[in-house]
Amino acid sequence: MFEILLLQSLVSGILMGGIYALLGVGFSLTWGVLRVINIAHAGFGVLAAYIAYSLLAKTGLDPLLSLLITLPCFFFGGMILHRGLIRPITKARETIVASMVLTFGLAIVVENLMLWIWKADPRVLKPSYSGTAVFIGEVGLPIPQLVGFGLAAAGILLLYLFLNHTHTGKAVQATWQEKEGAALMGINLQKVSEIAFGMAIAAAGLGGVAMAMMYTFDPPVHNFWLIYMFLVVIVGGVGSILGTALAGLILGVITGLCMAFIPYQWINVLTFGLLIVVLLVRPQGLFKTGV
Amino acid sequence: MTQPSQAGQKNRTYCYLAIGVAVLLSLFPLLSPAPYFLSMLYMVFLYVVLAESWNIIGGFAGYLSFGHVAFFGLGAYTTAFLMNKLALSPVATILSSIPGGLVAASVALVIGYPCLRLRGPYFAVVTMCFAFVVHMVVQNIDLFGGVEGLWLAAMKKPIHVIRAIFYELMLTLMILVVLFVRWMEGSKLGKGLVTIREDEEVAQTLGIHTPRVKILAFVLSAFFPGVAGGLHAYYLTYISPENVFDVMVSILIVLMTLFGGGGSWLGALIGAVSLSFINEFLTTFVAAEIARIIYGLLFIVVIIFMPNGIMEFFRRRRRQKEERVLENG
Repeated sequence: MFEILLLQSLVSGILMGGIYALLGVGFSLTWGVLRVINIAHAGFGVLAAYIAYSLLAKTGLDPLLSLLITLPCFFFGGMILHRGLIRPITKARETIVASMVLTFGLAIVVENLMLWIWKADPRVLKPSYSGTAVFIGEVGLPIPQLVGFGLAAAGILLLYLFLNHTHTGKAVQATWQEKEGAALMGINLQKVSEIAFGMAIAAAGLGGVAMAMMYTFDPPVHNFWLIYMFLVVIVGGVGSILGTALAGLILGVITGLCMAFIPYQWINVLTFGLLIVVLLVRPQGLFKTGV
Repeated sequence: MTQPSQAGQKNRTYCYLAIGVAVLLSLFPLLSPAPYFLSMLYMVFLYVVLAESWNIIGGFAGYLSFGHVAFFGLGAYTTAFLMNKLALSPVATILSSIPGGLVAASVALVIGYPCLRLRGPYFAVVTMCFAFVVHMVVQNIDLFGGVEGLWLAAMKKPIHVIRAIFYELMLTLMILVVLFVRWMEGSKLGKGLVTIREDEEVAQTLGIHTPRVKILAFVLSAFFPGVAGGLHAYYLTYISPENVFDVMVSILIVLMTLFGGGGSWLGALIGAVSLSFINEFLTTFVAAEIARIIYGLLFIVVIIFMPNGIMEFFRRRRRQKEERVLENG
């Protein structure tokens, strides 16, 4: 019995970790390329979850199909946000800190817009296949969680392929490594930044919907997602897609196992504490790029 | 251009003006106004205390602490706990806000030592986490009343007398804090902090012992919110993790200081006074969500259009106007 419990927590941990990874990858992208820490990142994830929820409730559109509409919207919305809000502050000397305060304001706006529209009640995304599961031996794999994990894996894979095998993606990486050098090679920094920001917001949307397949969500939940994202990105290294993905899985397994043994209300204390410890013990050590 | 002597005269005029305002404010309860006005001004004073304290570490040193409400909450819990355990008299309870401040300051000393080695976004994240951890730990410990919180026995006096007492207490604390920060601005400590904000390496090469200066600033900026938290717990007579560790308070004090202009005692004062009146107005007339949306938008506007605060914004506008007049004339 104990082994099954252990195995079950391990499996749910991995499924959960995939989604932390997807949320973290987009966050890492803006942090690495644009020197922007987007505090509102998880907020956009929750927003996407609410849109999927509303479309499902009103029109019966499956979340997977509605993503086909929402993701492009999020991508272009992200580009517009970058042009309107992020660009004006890139002249500031301390872009990172200024961007943090700015997107902090944005996060408050997004969270409270959601509270206003959808109220504070926790929601759950219930597609037609919710409540079903496949069993491997005695370990259950709920279908919605598998779908969520599949979305996350697909999202990370697409981002990885985009960054490594397309012209624009390589331009993004070049900007990441050496901004001025990239500009000298004829890369349009402005355009590359906008595309990177749009991709990150779209990834957040995808991650949010995937997360909503597994857990209930309400507007303030993005604060907790944000902490997970920070953990994943800092452990995995700012800018490393594969590192972030791996860190997401590790974090998922750790929280999954902890949930089996630690009372629920202490889980978040543990996560926050873990982040504090990581920050304090290895503030630079785990990064690929410098601070 | 004003001559130095004229500038001195101007300063003296401002000084008398400030003393006059303080005296008038302290006499205000004698007019026996409605308790509402006393509590409204009390909240303004409270926010000035919090914003000015935050200014020490966030404005002067440029270390954005996003979890400052933790110190406020720790002070509130210390006072509430001491009062309940020792059955303190009203005067002793008011005085017990000082141990509240000391608890907050010692926690700041302990966590500040490792945290202040982190810079920029990392410091902001670690303080944010710290506030969450304190909130959740207090909430999960039964000794502190858990989610339900703690009650404090109210003073056995008419409501307007109680309000007037707290009004005067918070006014005194505010004056002390403002005077302290004003003194600090001109002191070696203040200059050292500003140098750290501008360039920490340069500060070190100039012979500033940066770790010590930063920890001193952090401890000071935690002490006053702790005292204010102690007073506020007694003012509320009931505290719970939800209301004294409210993230919104952390957010508001950062916004207030940045809005007015961090790194100057006057900036934080102006920011806190103006925004707490706006806050009062918004909480009275619009839904809480809309009010918070407006704060969020304010953050964005402040960062994009006046990164050095509203004071600097108007000063620059005036300078530009003067230059244009000079060019045209």
